[in-house]
Amino acid sequence: MEFPQRTLRAFVLLSAAGAAIVVAGLLLEPQRMWANLLLAGYYVVGIGLAAGLLIALTYISNAGWLTAIRRVPEAMASNVYVGGLWMILLLLGVHSLYEWSHAEAVASDTLLQKKEFWLNIPFFSARTAFYVVLWSFCTFLLVRTSRNQDISGDVELTLRNRRNAAIFTVVFTLTFWIASMDWIMSLEPHWYSTIFGIYNFSGMFMTGVAAVAIAVILLRRRGYLKEFVRDDHLHDLGKLIFAFSTFWMYIWFSQYLLIWYANIPEETVYFIKRESAGWGTFTILVLLFNWVIPFIVLMPRGAKRNEGILLRVSIVILVGHWIDLFWMIFPAFMPGNPQFNIWEIGPMVLAAGLVCYVTSRSLSKASFIPTRDPMLVESLGYHS
Amino acid sequence: MSRRLFIAHFEDERDIVEATKAVRAEGHEIRDVYTPFAVHGLDKAMGLKPSRLPLVCLIFGLLGATAKLWFQVWTSAFNWPVNIGGKPLASIPAFVPVTFEITVLFAGLGTVGAFLLISRLRPGRKPAASYERATNDRFVLVIVERDAAFDLERTTALCRRFHCVRVEERLEEEP
Repeated sequence: MEFPQRTLRAFVLLSAAGAAIVVAGLLLEPQRMWANLLLAGYYVVGIGLAAGLLIALTYISNAGWLTAIRRVPEAMASNVYVGGLWMILLLLGVHSLYEWSHAEAVASDTLLQKKEFWLNIPFFSARTAFYVVLWSFCTFLLVRTSRNQDISGDVELTLRNRRNAAIFTVVFTLTFWIASMDWIMSLEPHWYSTIFGIYNFSGMFMTGVAAVAIAVILLRRRGYLKEFVRDDHLHDLGKLIFAFSTFWMYIWFSQYLLIWYANIPEETVYFIKRESAGWGTFTILVLLFNWVIPFIVLMPRGAKRNEGILLRVSIVILVGHWIDLFWMIFPAFMPGNPQFNIWEIGPMVLAAGLVCYVTSRSLSKASFIPTRDPMLVESLGYHS
Repeated sequence: MSRRLFIAHFEDERDIVEATKAVRAEGHEIRDVYTPFAVHGLDKAMGLKPSRLPLVCLIFGLLGATAKLWFQVWTSAFNWPVNIGGKPLASIPAFVPVTFEITVLFAGLGTVGAFLLISRLRPGRKPAASYERATNDRFVLVIVERDAAFDLERTTALCRRFHCVRVEERLEEEP
């Protein structure tokens, strides 16, 4: 299936506009721009990983419902390559982002000296490259095996992908929590939280499923998937979004509760920053967008099956995830109050343009449904 | 007053869904459909109204949350105030986990309880109806013969179109 050239060109223009702002920002306000680039790159790689994980989970659990719309997350998984490359390029800005990368800061700080065996530039760079290569390889295998099945129709490929999926989930679990600590938590290197990886995973997965829902709904509206997508498929995506939004809140609160209860200065410093002045108000936005709104709106069965409502809630979640990441990253750079202007918009415009372009390009490389997947019949007549 | 029931047995889940749709389109009153497992789409074919159990679940959940939150504030801040770690007496964050658990407990037990109550399921209750092999490999459609206009042959023919394997008539048992 081909996309109109006009649409693809619009995505390229969008990316170019974002890239122009990024270049201007790097010249005028480098540190703030690097931090925004970190946010956007992490966002992009997260969407790709979440899409790959969604595919992997349905393979492992032998679930048939996703099959009819699986090409959408498969295409979205290509964002792992783009986001991964982005994270590697980000190594150029390591000195603008991470306090531990400055030798003079480490020299006068016992804690940073103790953490230096892990937080040093060569090892950090190697780890970043390692995650990216590993994740890219795993998602590539999943997608390629599924596409090969269109040609051969071999059931063996489904079984092979089930193995690939199992390997990917284990690899993902063991690497993503360390990656989230490296890239995000080490921005404030004196602070630590052992639940940080799960917290990042919950937000990332909910956002990925929301992005899949948005793509499926928009494609159906344009008439691409009209014959295949039932409201029952949307219902299941809605249930996942609802569940993972609540899971996110559960984990967010678990992190907060333990730190609040124990009241140890080296831990509470994180929340004190985020409760004072403008950041306090901002924290309310984080909770509102990521849990309160999705939870209340998506609660009734009909809301999850309603295309318009699901689309709007998914957009709220995508915005909410940006707010969540901003809340994690920026108190290190903007003490006092959160600030928002064009430097925050640029990288996200670039990210949005790239994600849309890469996903549509990848979608048009294969048939719109996995035509010879043994689960397809089950999925086409699926009742949730 | 007991009524006559028309009972048709099927061997395939797709047949029973189609037969149910056709019978309902003819204007017959469907008493119930018995299947060995949950058949997707049967609720729509039977024209069942959506369940109101989710609402019961929500109400019980809210009840549990309010009751437990109130109880914790009352015990820790009013009835027997104890200063723990210098925190305020009514420290809401500390109450959240328990409130959450009780919400889930109330919602879960309340929903199951309401379901048992509405469907009048209790220990020792006599089976509402027993149809041969309906718990094994047969799908059974039960229609009420509402009035004299009920045409046995016509309905039988209708069911035969969907590969019905057996039809029978029974008197409805008093509940």
